[in-house]
Amino acid sequence: MTKTREYGRSRLVRLAATATAGAALLAACSTTTGGDDADASGASGDVTAAGTYPIESLDPHGAQGASTGTQLAGQQIFSRLVKPDPDGTLKGDLATAWKPNKAVTAWTFTLRDGVTFSDGSPLDADDVVASFQRMISLNGPNAGNFPVSTMKKTSATQVVLSSPAPDASVPGKLGTFYVIPSGVGKDDSAYFNHPVGSGPFTVDAFTPGESLVLVPNKKYAGNKPAPRRVTVRNIPELSARMTALRTGEVDILWGIPDDQLASLKGEKNLTVRTVPSSAEFTMWFNSSTPALKDAKVRKAIWQAVDFKTIIDKLYPETGRAADAPVTGVVLGHVPQPPVAYDAAAAKSALTDAGFDFSKKLRLQFANAEFRPFIQAVVSDLQKIGVKADPLEKEQATFTEDLIALKWDINFQQLATPSYDAASNLGRLYTCEANRNGYCNKQLDALLASAGATADKQKRTDLYGRASAIIWRDAVGMYPMSVSIAYAWNSDLKGFTPDASGLPDFATVGTGGS
Amino acid sequence: MIRMVAQRLLVGVFVMWGAASLIFLIVRAAPGDPATVLLGPDADRTQIEQLRESLGLDRSLGAQYVSYLGDVSRLDFGQSHRLGRPAMDAVLDRLPATIDLTLTATAVAVIVGLTLGMLAGGRPGGALDRVVSACTIALQSFPTFWIGIMLVLVFALGLGLLPSSGVGTPQHLVLPALTLAFPFIAIIARLTRTSVAETMREGYVQTARSKGLGERQVLLGHALRNSLIPVVTVVGVQVGALVGGAVIVENVFAWPGLGSLVVDAVANRDYAVVQGVTLLIAGIVVVLNLIADLLIAQLDPRIRTGAV
Repeated sequence: MTKTREYGRSRLVRLAATATAGAALLAACSTTTGGDDADASGASGDVTAAGTYPIESLDPHGAQGASTGTQLAGQQIFSRLVKPDPDGTLKGDLATAWKPNKAVTAWTFTLRDGVTFSDGSPLDADDVVASFQRMISLNGPNAGNFPVSTMKKTSATQVVLSSPAPDASVPGKLGTFYVIPSGVGKDDSAYFNHPVGSGPFTVDAFTPGESLVLVPNKKYAGNKPAPRRVTVRNIPELSARMTALRTGEVDILWGIPDDQLASLKGEKNLTVRTVPSSAEFTMWFNSSTPALKDAKVRKAIWQAVDFKTIIDKLYPETGRAADAPVTGVVLGHVPQPPVAYDAAAAKSALTDAGFDFSKKLRLQFANAEFRPFIQAVVSDLQKIGVKADPLEKEQATFTEDLIALKWDINFQQLATPSYDAASNLGRLYTCEANRNGYCNKQLDALLASAGATADKQKRTDLYGRASAIIWRDAVGMYPMSVSIAYAWNSDLKGFTPDASGLPDFATVGTGGS
Repeated sequence: MIRMVAQRLLVGVFVMWGAASLIFLIVRAAPGDPATVLLGPDADRTQIEQLRESLGLDRSLGAQYVSYLGDVSRLDFGQSHRLGRPAMDAVLDRLPATIDLTLTATAVAVIVGLTLGMLAGGRPGGALDRVVSACTIALQSFPTFWIGIMLVLVFALGLGLLPSSGVGTPQHLVLPALTLAFPFIAIIARLTRTSVAETMREGYVQTARSKGLGERQVLLGHALRNSLIPVVTVVGVQVGALVGGAVIVENVFAWPGLGSLVVDAVANRDYAVVQGVTLLIAGIVVVLNLIADLLIAQLDPRIRTGAV
């Protein structure tokens, strides 16, 4: 009996030892995807990208509709009325033409003939109107672009979008509006697991927060997508994304910080590029704070920070001194005179304005990646005796405090996804919006005029005049225009880095396909 | 035995109620609410108020708590408005990945930890004991993320033997499971070593030796069973902790488990998902502790009969 039990136990120990050795062997001898995938993808037409944010939902109208992940997926699967080119220029997608009425309160969109969804059913004006109504009824972030707008079908190939007030930025704002078949319910999760769309790709597999696998949509009205399969993976850690790119597990990566670019440039199999985006480092002053009410004080604080040196040191590849409240790729960008660094003049101006140097300014920001930049700003301010308290906040707290104006200086990397100053200057700088405590009736009038004309040149002139006021009164500090850094496997052909950080995979060809 | 199980189950129900209440209060005590996060910094106050109303966040805390407890008792954790689907669906989607990771890590840790602990505890003060003790202290000292990064550097980037991140094949599991297992191996090995060393000094072990049994027979046939009691207790508790530890490992290896889901949910104030994950983990810990109690009762008849 004892012998049997001992035999059983020694067998158990041997089994354990074997299992452990097996695990080690698996690690040592296994065939890996690392390193080989680059070649495999090149030969098979498979492309793998690692996005900067997870794709949690494919519903472009819902709560995730404005998120980077859902937008990236949406533009591959669905069509829009209009869409921006990689450089931000608007072009027709479902719409062949669009024009406003004289008062710019109604926009008529003429739809392309013969467009079908991936299941072969035709896409018509009913689908466009139903999609718009669904987006509004879900009250997600994209619905906020059209708070009082309505859309109506005027013919099988024409829809009209109307709003009570003139709105010249409608085409730009529609860049985030995607068309799905009519009849999809508010919470139709079954549909969104395998959505039917009219974009270049259809969904082969989707695991929220993990990966999205796309294959070409055989019914796509445009040019046939080049890759056989596109996989968008979620790799939350930057270092893990970089490793995956180096091992060939990933072919395309973007949103790479400056301190990592030098090492990637040294890799002979990788192509590295930066592309100017619509994002700008924006540091609003809270003009309702007594200490910051005076424009001279705000301008002096701006003058006290050596932004050029900070950008040269921290963002040599992806940063460029900003010359307006919106970047060069945005409609309405008009360069303003640079604000030169002059610490002595800044201190003198603050003293003359009776600035209270004992008061500590609350400088809030929300993302750890900006900590070195914020610390450099605080350090420069300290040199002339201005005390600033850097407050790194969680996104939820940051947003709540931002809206409640519980800050003195607010740092944001502010993008303009519509590539139209209306959704930046026109929305954030009015007295009614009260986003930074600044109110100027003259600025309000200019912004309203710019929003009420469809003439691009006129709009640019008006936004230029508005920018001049914002710049002159230092509503904020505008230190840096942001470029997005991309790196991709050099075997890929036809990949175009995108200014919005939402690349189009349909044109990406692989070596052997 | 049945009475013991009934008692433990009753305690389990109270633990679950406590966990449900605590997590309800904690997520709501945190600044920032789901409506603000859902709509983002571009939203105006009217939009936020409208969404708060539609999410039921404008009701009193008491009213929210009563309806929450009612829903939870029906295993309904509510809708994740951020993800646009029921919270429990999102949680259950991620659960298999976490189970794969924690079970593999636990299996590796138990097998390796027990073996090392037994070998070291069998001859306290010997060369093997010293080596095992030094290695286990080192394993416990290294931060998990550092271990993970080192394994990636060596096995994925350096040798190209294993994938650096993601899921899909058994190879994908190796590095995250080893990363999660290493500190656990150290805990089990050290505990087993101490327990075995103590048991080997017990009178009944001396009796076994005096009967002429070899050290291996004494260890496996007489000392091991009693040495396992504290180890089983700790494994039961630690498996629950592994799920928590998996958060870092999941991030390093892009492993789509519960850890990354709950981190995102907390950051986005997704109350339904946070509550769902927390209660699921609490339930797993309660069940694992019950299993550990039953195992201990099997190992020690005195507990089974209520003698201790």
